[in-house]
Amino acid sequence: MGFKELCFKKSLWVYHLSAGSCNNCDIEILDCLTPRYDIERFGMKLVGSVRHADVLLVTGIVTKKTLPRVIEVYEQAPKPVVVIAIGACPCTGGIFATGYNFAGPLDKVIPVDLYIPGCPPKPEAMLAGIVKFLNK
Amino acid sequence: MKIENFIEEVRKKYPDIKVEEINLKRLMIYISKELLLDITSYLFATLGFRYIIVSGMDSKEGYEIIYHYSDDSSGWVINLNVMLPHDKPEVESITPVVYGAEWIEREIMDLLGIKFLNHPKPERFLMAESWPEGDFPLRRKENKEL
Amino acid sequence: MGKKTIVPIGPYHPLLEEPEFFKLYCDGETVVDMVWETGYNHRGIEKICESKTFEQVFYVVERICGICSTSHPFAYANAVESIAGVEIPIRAKYIRTLIGELERVHSHLLWVGLAGHFLGYNTVFMWAWKYREPVLDMFEMITGNRNSYAMFTIGGVRRDIDAEKAKLLYKVLDEVEKKNNLLIGAVMDDPVIHARLKGVGVLTAKDIHDFGAVGPTARASGVDMDIRRDDPYAAYDLVDWKVITAQGGDVFAKAEVRLLELIESIKIIRQCLDYLQKNETGDIKAKVKDIPAGIGIGRAEAPRGEVFHFVKSDGGNSPVRHKIRAPSYTCIPTFRRSCIGGTISDAAISTAAVDPCYCCTERMSQAYDVKTGEKLYNAAELIKLSQSKTEEIKKRLNKR
Repeated sequence: MGFKELCFKKSLWVYHLSAGSCNNCDIEILDCLTPRYDIERFGMKLVGSVRHADVLLVTGIVTKKTLPRVIEVYEQAPKPVVVIAIGACPCTGGIFATGYNFAGPLDKVIPVDLYIPGCPPKPEAMLAGIVKFLNK
Repeated sequence: MKIENFIEEVRKKYPDIKVEEINLKRLMIYISKELLLDITSYLFATLGFRYIIVSGMDSKEGYEIIYHYSDDSSGWVINLNVMLPHDKPEVESITPVVYGAEWIEREIMDLLGIKFLNHPKPERFLMAESWPEGDFPLRRKENKEL
Repeated sequence: MGKKTIVPIGPYHPLLEEPEFFKLYCDGETVVDMVWETGYNHRGIEKICESKTFEQVFYVVERICGICSTSHPFAYANAVESIAGVEIPIRAKYIRTLIGELERVHSHLLWVGLAGHFLGYNTVFMWAWKYREPVLDMFEMITGNRNSYAMFTIGGVRRDIDAEKAKLLYKVLDEVEKKNNLLIGAVMDDPVIHARLKGVGVLTAKDIHDFGAVGPTARASGVDMDIRRDDPYAAYDLVDWKVITAQGGDVFAKAEVRLLELIESIKIIRQCLDYLQKNETGDIKAKVKDIPAGIGIGRAEAPRGEVFHFVKSDGGNSPVRHKIRAPSYTCIPTFRRSCIGGTISDAAISTAAVDPCYCCTERMSQAYDVKTGEKLYNAAELIKLSQSKTEEIKKRLNKR
């Protein structure tokens, strides 16, 4: 197992970025922290600065105003970083794709490693997606 | 104030305006833009109606700006309708009377290109810096260049 | 009076460190000005609605905000049904009311958790969110989803709640009520919370009127208004409940209003379940052919206040204009009155007190020195300041 894989198999530090979301996905991400799903027992925790992050969770369509910020955050994240697009919005834009303020989808802006569709995806779906990715 | 009394008072005070019940418990008062500040003061400051929001629309006849107020004691929504011509979309800002209207007027400036005269802070509100000047998303296609 | 440097420690909740919401200008410890910046979540929803059919708009407006997800379809349905002049069946009224009140319960619990976190009571945060889960389970039982329920349609609701489901829901509701009462008692009686929240972030009735603020923010300043009673819709005039107001206008009053509203909501939910159990069948949707030309104004009382939808139809398949106003739009500007003049350590909780719906608006940002323009604290640091103040108060009260 390489050094990189070893790091990723253990405590993941997660940075969450909302690029113009409706908060449904954000609340479901927070739900993962709460006692029912409790990802903290796996050592996963949310960090306040992207410079400490292993994983970048992005929700929301990328609006024109958040576009420069998304790029800036991605550039600040220490590589390797896993970028996860949570919800239908960063994956394809969802129902907002026809809007005039749409500047996405996310993979047009930054490279995405994992897509978890849903509106919002249940916490179980998010955890299943992450586990599937880690086992690859 | 009971709603029937209100309609009577308004008709007495402003005899030339049209007052219409557009739906159950919904009243529409059509005014010219000159009367706006006076009647706003009457509804908001004197009668104490609650300010809800301001809607802007690009209609065939002009830019329709509708000011919505709520009379919570009766459950009626009182709407003030001001029509602005397509070639001169300007109207007085009501922010000096209704502090809460500051944001919505800035939003309408961004989305419809209406000029609110004497607005305390007529700056870009919603759109990104990269959004081109003069591009108003809520305008109909034929009015985009105006 | 030196400059304080606070080391940012990773926040629990991810809705921080985000695009600038507003900047607080400080002179020493006092907040003297506030500048707002927004537009990050502007998705152009009003324009998108113009290209969807009336029925499709329900799914768009649900996603304006994930937390007060049902209030927008509620107000929109009221608007469109008033244009069409249709009266919905009574069973649909009760089901709509049930969903609306369940949402109020989950939203207020969410707020209690966040307020707890801002104060440094992470136990309250975990507790409130844990006891929110059974409410989300109830939603999943009824609608198939934990958020974004897709229950509304023009003329009624899309899914029924049969008597068997109602019985199951009763059991879960009992559980929710027991835990709620525990939580309410613990929060309302805590002396540290009293010391921390009383007199903070005060809004007078005049402030409320000036900004058009609504919901618990207004009711906590003694303004007796509630759309469910003033302009009744669905089954709110068929069930027994009361409007909760408080005096004082401070953060404690706002918390009190929300906690007591939880109890009223559970009361309403029980009455709806009673009706659905006693009347086992009934229409859940009225037939609506076309939406004629006209204007409809629909309102609903979301957990944060009045949601207002203005719909104009020209007889076609889509709305010609759809204006949406979320309650936070008029509640958030009140920060000018509640934060300015207060201390920086109270800024976090004063802003959280109006329960800003993050997606209808944005998140807190940074504090600057008004004289030098130097950045003092970011959002996480402001929360840490708030938590430190609670610690100090705890120590002071324990010394006595």
